[in-house]
Amino acid sequence: MTSAWTPRSAWAGFARAGRHGRPQGEPGVRLTLRDGVGLATVIAADGQEDALGRILADRFGWSLPGSGAATLVGERGLVWSAPGQWLAVAEARAGLQGLAEALRGVAAVTDQSDARAIVRVSGPRARGLLSKGVAVDLHPRAFAAGQAAVTSIAHIGAQIWQRDEAPTYDLAVARSFAGSFWSWLSHAAAEFGYEVDREAEH
Amino acid sequence: MRIRCPYCGERDNGEFSYLGDAAPRRPDGLEAQASAMHDYVYLRDNPAGEHRELWYHGAGCRSWLVVTRDTRTHTISDVSPARDVARSRRPGEAA
Repeated sequence: MTSAWTPRSAWAGFARAGRHGRPQGEPGVRLTLRDGVGLATVIAADGQEDALGRILADRFGWSLPGSGAATLVGERGLVWSAPGQWLAVAEARAGLQGLAEALRGVAAVTDQSDARAIVRVSGPRARGLLSKGVAVDLHPRAFAAGQAAVTSIAHIGAQIWQRDEAPTYDLAVARSFAGSFWSWLSHAAAEFGYEVDREAEH
Repeated sequence: MRIRCPYCGERDNGEFSYLGDAAPRRPDGLEAQASAMHDYVYLRDNPAGEHRELWYHGAGCRSWLVVTRDTRTHTISDVSPARDVARSRRPGEAA
């Protein structure tokens, strides 16, 4: 089936592919625009957290992360959002197929794939960049791979999870704030020199 | 001032909203006298010292918290999820 509608990147009109900011040396920060990611909020019904954990483990091979944690294998898994609430993440929306049906009666599942803008932040100065806007201690002693936080950056609500010790972070903001968020991100990254990996699809 | 959210850890107070005294309990609207509603809505103690108050972690986990704070020094001695406080409370008992 064809459609008159074409997917548009959340970062379209804001992010530009290529090298930006300080021109000397290697870029300190790499920004990877992540489009088409499958996202869904999972909110446990009262008293059903154990049942939810069991179903997710049996059916999807996922373990339910505790407060401030993320359990991801590759691009799939769960990020803690609030007590009894998680963000399910998959490479694409199709990766979350069957989730709502499997969790019927134990959790409310709401597709958020179109609701968030996600950018991956890596490179040698990734931590220094985020430290300028995140009021959470990102020092490796306090925040390491597999940890997650819901906080605000430049007065914009943001969810952040660290993927590896490089360090690599994924950042999610409400899609309608993508422009304002990019304004902060690009200005904050300029002093380190940054590279945007590809053009945002229009 | 920072508040140690029981879920998120220590966070800047800009992430939270203040509601006020955690003690008042809303009277039953159908049963209560007007004077009881008046007291519930308007009357507050203003202690110099320990105060139990409600804060909302709006920029974080969106949980309501009961924070025990010394109003003279802003020293916070306890932060508990408001739902746990409410569930452990007997009917009619103040927070």
